[in-house]
Amino acid sequence: MQKKDGKIWIAGIESELHGQTLSSRELRESLANRKSISVLPDIWVIKMGGQSIMDRGAAAVEPILEELVEAKKAGINFILCTGGGTRARHVYSLGLDLDLPTGMLARLGASIPVQNARMLQLLLAKHGGIMAYPEEFEKLPFFLNAGCIPITTGMPPNEFWEKSSSQGIIPANRTDAGVYLLGEFLGAKGVLYIKDEDGLYTDDPKKNPDAKFIPKITAKELIENGQDDMIVERVVIEYMQRAENIKKIQIVNGTKRGNILAALNGSDVGTVISAE
Amino acid sequence: MSELLTGDGRTHVESGLMRESLVSKKLLAETDKRTVRRMVPDVHMIAIGGQSIMDRGKEAILPVVDVLATLKEKYKMVVGVGGGARARHTFSIGLDLGLPVGGLARIVGGVEENNRDILQFLLAPHGGITFVKDHFQDLQLFLNNGLIPICIGQPPYHFWEPPSVEDGRLPDNGPDVGLFLMAEVIGAESVIYVKDVDGIYDKDPKKHKDARFIAEISAKELLERDYDDLPVEREMLRTLENARNLRSVRVINGLNTENLTAALAGENVGSVIYSSRYEKGE
Repeated sequence: MQKKDGKIWIAGIESELHGQTLSSRELRESLANRKSISVLPDIWVIKMGGQSIMDRGAAAVEPILEELVEAKKAGINFILCTGGGTRARHVYSLGLDLDLPTGMLARLGASIPVQNARMLQLLLAKHGGIMAYPEEFEKLPFFLNAGCIPITTGMPPNEFWEKSSSQGIIPANRTDAGVYLLGEFLGAKGVLYIKDEDGLYTDDPKKNPDAKFIPKITAKELIENGQDDMIVERVVIEYMQRAENIKKIQIVNGTKRGNILAALNGSDVGTVISAE
Repeated sequence: MSELLTGDGRTHVESGLMRESLVSKKLLAETDKRTVRRMVPDVHMIAIGGQSIMDRGKEAILPVVDVLATLKEKYKMVVGVGGGARARHTFSIGLDLGLPVGGLARIVGGVEENNRDILQFLLAPHGGITFVKDHFQDLQLFLNNGLIPICIGQPPYHFWEPPSVEDGRLPDNGPDVGLFLMAEVIGAESVIYVKDVDGIYDKDPKKHKDARFIAEISAKELLERDYDDLPVEREMLRTLENARNLRSVRVINGLNTENLTAALAGENVGSVIYSSRYEKGE
């Protein structure tokens, strides 16, 4: 067996990656500024809030699904993802009480959005709602070409591999992050979060009546303003700043009819958070 | 007993986190913990280098296999492995094709599976068994039957790999990170990275004769020193700094297998990288 420096060799990658550790700064810098292809550029990735929408039951869910079906009929293609909500909060509370590690909490939290996705699939079945599990994502073109509405969990598949944060044991990557990263990977047309508030406020408007609405803000401004609470997971704001594709996200109030269609048709309703 | 609460249009299950966004910094500080519970604390995670050990073929692999077979009699171990040259080739072709970082992260594990399957084949007479993600919770079944679970390192972030912190378009999270995180949830006794250098140096000792050996350093300082090259992933160092169970990792030279025996016996071989989050001995 022919070896080079004691190792079995693959010809042809000498110049770039071979013989280097992947930690090499020189190597990483040589790969900067590469452009990636877009996987599914015409598809929206939409998240249905867990606590904000699903936990409200039929009163909130049904009109939103009607609006989404209307969008689908108008030729707007999307993947529908779900949040967890109050049951996720309950199981995190239980996990925290037992001093379970972050990876275990992420595992526990993953079950709830799957329940919510299955509920939506049952409701949307007659309009082509179909479960698209992460293992089946390579079949997304098939589902979409068949006129289906793929429905999936918003949670990223990190589970036991979820990292602890510098502060806090609750997993930092939950359904907002999973939905954002899915959109970024697909090079999607846009990422839309459907919640029960008009968008981002300076604080949680449900607890602080003085919270002010923010229609438009950059990621940098949002981090610098130091606000304690916000309507999307903090890691999304971090990821956005170094992402290649999804440079803005939109948050709309789905309990007010018309907002979802307006956003999907390109209107800046709700709050738009942009990378720069 | 938890109650269902209504009144704001939503139905809540009563809990300490009820109605919380889980984003509030105040809430994260209040629910933070210095340490967490360990799942199987008497396990050692042995991370075998792809390029550093596996690509060397039988002259490096077989001695490691022999020593693992002996050490199994005394220690509970999970063996993980990286991808090596074929992982680099995967990235090289994938980048040329313009695959996004999530696409690269999804496919690179395939070549680690080759290395896992080779190690499983070689360790089969001594109880080597493949250990895949979906059987994570069967770990004790394997260990209590005297088996050696062998897994790939790449964490299953797949298409959800975050945009990289480091330059370039490669995933930050590789096998060093994945095996570290498995060990963190397990609450393992130690994590040992088996490579082909004696440990951490200020530059690559294979290319620079004057490279200086570092026996012990914090992950934070190692990141701050910003060396051009390291035998472990930088993201593993960042992950170690935030870990709540594991306090340190060890990097040893597996070309001399006595190092592995010594490391498992708790002797001071190779380099130790520790988290600056904790005091010594904490």
